[in-house]
Formats: sequence, structure tokens, C-alpha cells
Amino acid sequence: MKILILAFVLLFAFIPTDNLTGRWESKPSEKGNVTGVVFKTDHTLEGYVNKKPFVSGTYNFNPEDSIISFVDNGCNGVRAVYKVLFFSNSDSLRFQAVSDSCEERKNGMQRLVMGKVK
Amino acid sequence: MMITIPAFVFIFSTAIQTKPVNKATLGELLFSDPILSKDNTISCASCHKPAYAFADTSAVSGGVAGKKGARNTPTAMNLSLSRSFFWDGRSKTLEEQALGPIENLVEMNLPVDEAIYRLKNNKKYTEYFKEIFNSEPTKENLGAAIAAFERTLETSNSPFDNWKFSDDSTAVSNAVKRGFIVFNGKGKCIKCHFGADLTAQEFRNIGLFNGKNLNDSGRSVVSGKAEDIGKFKTSSLRNIAITAPYMHNGLFKTLEQVIDFYNDTKKIVPNAINKDTLLNKPLGLTRQEKKDLETFLISLTDKRFNKLKK
Repeated sequence: MKILILAFVLLFAFIPTDNLTGRWESKPSEKGNVTGVVFKTDHTLEGYVNKKPFVSGTYNFNPEDSIISFVDNGCNGVRAVYKVLFFSNSDSLRFQAVSDSCEERKNGMQRLVMGKVK
Repeated sequence: MMITIPAFVFIFSTAIQTKPVNKATLGELLFSDPILSKDNTISCASCHKPAYAFADTSAVSGGVAGKKGARNTPTAMNLSLSRSFFWDGRSKTLEEQALGPIENLVEMNLPVDEAIYRLKNNKKYTEYFKEIFNSEPTKENLGAAIAAFERTLETSNSPFDNWKFSDDSTAVSNAVKRGFIVFNGKGKCIKCHFGADLTAQEFRNIGLFNGKNLNDSGRSVVSGKAEDIGKFKTSSLRNIAITAPYMHNGLFKTLEQVIDFYNDTKKIVPNAINKDTLLNKPLGLTRQEKKDLETFLISLTDKRFNKLKK
């Protein structure tokens, strides 16, 4: 019985609690570059290009209104807020800016379309 | 049989190396061939040494007839995402960059037209260019081949990559993790070294121009703008532990010296002109923070270079 309870605890600890948690990647660009982000269960995120990490940060995601708020190690610590737009049965997503004063990041985020890596 | 197998492997691998099958492998052959230098003594690989992440171990590299350049040879790795090339960003494409050192008087000193003439009169190369480009050697396909090879030189298997991309927290030590915090915070490194190759690809004057003994104007010669005096392209930090010496002039021999410089640039160059305001105040790093930062930088070394790592 103890083993069964432990198994359930572990199961729920590692099951993503929302649609966002997990690894997402873009299709290769014209130059062949693949951009990806991992949203972890501990509310940290890691972004990468061609398997090369380029951004680390922390985030909060509200599944009810699909709003993500995050801070990363670029953009001088400026907090960004985006609406996550899921589509294709939540297999794909893109971002719509709610507030982000970091123009470079905003331009990149709004072009980004990613699919869930399974 | 014990002798025959290694001999076969050697002959087979040599055959693979000498018979290019695509632009990149043709480029690899050209990269290492001194045929592209005036006196047939220098190849791209003479200065972009493969064992040192395609950088040089000298402050400035030697060219034909013992001539010395004025700038440190940057790594030829991890250039696929670059928007400009050379320390001063004078080339906008890798294809254009690839031809620059061939013509440079203090590097290979061979006019590109003459290089093409040599390749056209070389039976081996005329055959390879015909097979791969369906053309005789030209300036365009020479640049394309070398650039294609350089684009294969991407590295993404360092302990840092394994930690961040593969989510393996055991891939790096606690010192690396502390160093990453310094990198992003007190050290301000991230302000210029943000990106997949740890460079924001901007041009910055870090305080190594004083108009006297440090008088390389850098980017301003290309842009024509006075505000660009002493600015150079921010280097990638990938494989930085094995690409010493550092900076555009190879001034610093160790990462420790580089970190000490950034910690208080005035101590090393008190009379710098047009220095970036980010570096106006000393960083105030402790001995431990400097050590952690250095350990973090070493963690950016791809595993293929493990034997060379400090």
C-alpha cells in the first residue's frame, strides 16, 4: 500500500499541471535555425537556438486566462507579460504581447510559433 | 591481420578526406591547403588551428614571409548565427569573409583572381569544382565552399549546454552555477554576451583604445563614425578556455587576466578613450566570484576539446 501511495505521489509530482509545461520548438527557419523553450515544473524556463541555450528565466503561468509573466537574463530584468495562444489541440502555440517594454524580445516573441516536442 | 586493419582504416579515412563530396568537404580541403597563399606556405588552418577551436595561440598570427598581422585570430567556430565578420564587422557574409584573408597582404597575400587561376590549373581542384558546383573554380564558389565548411563548425555539447539544454543539473559543478549567477548579475557579462553563442553581436569599446600604444580604431574605420573609435565585435564565449590569448590584440594571456581587467579596467588601461559606460565603475568582484566566473567560462568548452581544457 505504501508503495502504491508513493507511486501516486510521484506520478502527480511529474505530470505537467498545465498545457504549457514541457519542451516547445519552432520549425526550422529558412536558414535552418530551430528555436526552442523548455517550461519546467519549477517555474524556470530555458530558451535555446539549435540546441544552444541563450536565455534563462523564471515564469508564472495562469491556465485560466492563459497569461504568462516572466523575467529572463536578457532585457535588463524587465518583466514581460504575454497571452499564450494555443492551437491545434494545444499542440502548438504562439505569443501575443500584453506588456513588454523590451522591443527586441517583443519582436522575437511575436514571430515565434512552436510545436510541442513529444 | 593486426597490422592490415589499421592500415586499411588509415587509407580509407585518407581517401574520405581527400575526395570531397559536397561544398563543405571541399571547403575543408581548401581551408587546409596552402595553395591559397602567395608562397604556398600558409593556409586558413595555419592561423585557425583546429585543435584550439579554430583560433590561434599567438597574440597576432604570422602571415607569408614572416609578416605579422595587427589583430588576434578569432575562432572560426560557431559563426552560423553571426550577422557580421572580422573584429570590425567589415564583412556581412561568411562567403565574403572567407576570401578576405587570402588577399590580405599580411596574411596569405594572394589576389583572389590569382588563387582562382591556380585552382583552374590544378587537375584535382578542377575535377572537384566540376563535380560539386558543376562549374570551374570561381571567386563565388571558392567563398561558398569555405563558408559551407565553416558553417559545419558549430558546437553545442559543453557542460553548460548539457546543464541548460538537456536539463542535467549534474553536468556542471556548483562553482559553474555560482559563476553563471555572477555572469548574469554582478559581473554584467550578460549585457554584451547575451545569445546562443554568448555574444549579442554588437560593437563595443571595452577600454583598450588610448590613441597611443593602443591605437587600433576598430569599427570606426568601417562605419566612418567617430563614436565607433575603439569598438570591436563582441566575441563568442563558446570554447573560450582554449582560444587564448584574448581581445582584438591578444593582450591577455589568461581568462584570469581578462576577468581582472573587466573587474577594474582603469587599473590596466587608465587613459582609455571612448570606453563603454558599462565599464565606468569597477565591478567589485571578490576573489571567489572571479574564480567562479572563470569556472563558468571553462564550462562553455565543447567536449570534443576535453583534452585541452585546463
